[in-house]
Amino acid sequence: MKRPLPLAAAALLLPAATAALAGQGTPTPTDGKALFREKCAMCHGPNGMGTGLLDRRVQPALLEERTDLTADYVIQAARTGIGNMPAIPRGEASDAQLKAIADYLGRGK
Amino acid sequence: MAQHLPPATLKAARRGFAAAVGAANCFFGEDDQHAYSDKFAIDDSRHVPLGAVAPLTTEEVQAVVRVAAQYHIPLWPISRGKNLGYGSAAPVLAGSVIVDLSRMKKIEVDLANGTVLLEPGVGFYDLYDYLQTHKIPLWLSVPGNSWGSVIGNALDRGVGYTPYGENTSKLCGMEVVLADGSIVRTGMGAMTGSKTWQLYRYGFGPAWDQMFVQSNLGIVTKAGMWLMPEPESVMGMDLEFDSPDDLGPLIDTLGPLRREGLLQQSPTIGNWLRAAAIVTRRTDWTDKPGALGDDVIAAIRKKFGMGWWGVSLRLYGREGVNKAAYAVLESAMNALKPMVLKPTKWTRGEPHEQSGWFGVPLTFPMQNANWHGGRGGHIGFSPVLPQSGAQAQAQFKRTYARYKEFGMDYQASFAFGERHLINVNAVLINKDDDAMMQRVDPFLRALIADARSQGYGEYRTHLDYMDTVMGSYDFGGNALRKLNERVKNALDPLGIIAPGKSGIWPANRAKERGK
Repeated sequence: MKRPLPLAAAALLLPAATAALAGQGTPTPTDGKALFREKCAMCHGPNGMGTGLLDRRVQPALLEERTDLTADYVIQAARTGIGNMPAIPRGEASDAQLKAIADYLGRGK
Repeated sequence: MAQHLPPATLKAARRGFAAAVGAANCFFGEDDQHAYSDKFAIDDSRHVPLGAVAPLTTEEVQAVVRVAAQYHIPLWPISRGKNLGYGSAAPVLAGSVIVDLSRMKKIEVDLANGTVLLEPGVGFYDLYDYLQTHKIPLWLSVPGNSWGSVIGNALDRGVGYTPYGENTSKLCGMEVVLADGSIVRTGMGAMTGSKTWQLYRYGFGPAWDQMFVQSNLGIVTKAGMWLMPEPESVMGMDLEFDSPDDLGPLIDTLGPLRREGLLQQSPTIGNWLRAAAIVTRRTDWTDKPGALGDDVIAAIRKKFGMGWWGVSLRLYGREGVNKAAYAVLESAMNALKPMVLKPTKWTRGEPHEQSGWFGVPLTFPMQNANWHGGRGGHIGFSPVLPQSGAQAQAQFKRTYARYKEFGMDYQASFAFGERHLINVNAVLINKDDDAMMQRVDPFLRALIADARSQGYGEYRTHLDYMDTVMGSYDFGGNALRKLNERVKNALDPLGIIAPGKSGIWPANRAKERGK
């Protein structure tokens, strides 16, 4: 836990990432939005590490607001890791689940 | 040294694993080896696993263990594999098969008693969302990186920031798969149909829960945890102190309040970089190599209004009690002349502050991995100290001198327990700086040796230093390690569960020690 900072203060007021279906079992592999919330939003939701770091380089920083992502790029970034982001193993997100997430994030292309 | 299996053995073992967990849950590709490696490794060529298998149930874990025993394949169980700074998902012994428990996500809350029975794949976010969704007024104790598993963190003795912050002490009852594939339930769970598994830690006779913590004596497939009932009020203050020399007096003031019980939460005193590395990058301030100069430190502190040290204190419970305790705390802190004292107050019914003091999971503190601007990370060095201002101040000065000698930026904190301090150093590394990466390993070994010479041992360490740290626990000719290994050899004679974890090597792989 890091102590709160003036610059972090605004971010601290943002809602935490929530995974509506977390807890018992996993969401259906076809529901990319629910899967994104469960598997990715802790870092790529408001106040997450990924959002904070992307905010230094690209706008909008929230992946769900991006319109330039392709599904292939999302899969590649998640499976190999990118920048400070570790790779996401298949035990954590199966190929089917990651494809659903990638299709959801890549829906703007 | 990586484990090399004959191709026929490997092929047969993979068939066995596929039969145990399903072919779709066996991961033996090159990408899989990479995905289960340590993102923050000093040397990426070490600790590369053979692959991974991901069971869904305790029965599947048993089946995996039996396959590993049949083919003498070392396993490395992970809950969610987010132990960043200590090795992430990677094994000590390269060539081990990761047993990824992240698909095991069952949650059973006992609201009346404030307990939960969890499987290892349940992350802090999963449990937080479950409690919120079901409007259950129980709070978590989350670490600064809350991406990981609740019981995985407790099993590695991670800490949080509420009165329940010593997470391993909140474990109550486990289910464990042993190396022979059998299952044992600890504490009251040893009785079939027990009504008190998550209520009384010790059971009857010797209590084994801590035997499975930072251990390789079994695979924990369920564990009970106590959760804190939502308090009526949270009050406290955020403080900044201007001088490096303020550390000792601050510790000597907080220590008695913590031991007395007026302060039930365990505060963490962090230096300026612990906060700054989250919100800014080194490259925004200087391009000079080596440890940051005082001029740069002063400029960063000025811009963000930071002290050299900062600490947040919180009181939890009935509002009337908190108000009385706050007055004592405020008086004690003002006597130290802080540069900032900012009061905080929350009453039940108000929105939660999105912070660890409210048990809300966080990942943004890991932004410190970007301090050097490129592919970064951090490696932990965390000796246990007495709650002594003089000794903590001396440890700080000694360690800070080492940081300067090795050209590293000092990032550290002093985290209170009930009777101890843990001096957590998250050493910020830059994997794009070859010259720096050459210095990191000798730097960490110097820190471990310095601490040992002062009589301080680490509470937790990265894969690369498990043998070194265990070696520093040297009373009686390393009698503790020898005891651990006698138990290891008795329970796991084939040495299949996490060989090398915490410096505990089974006899058949003892030649790997120190490699």
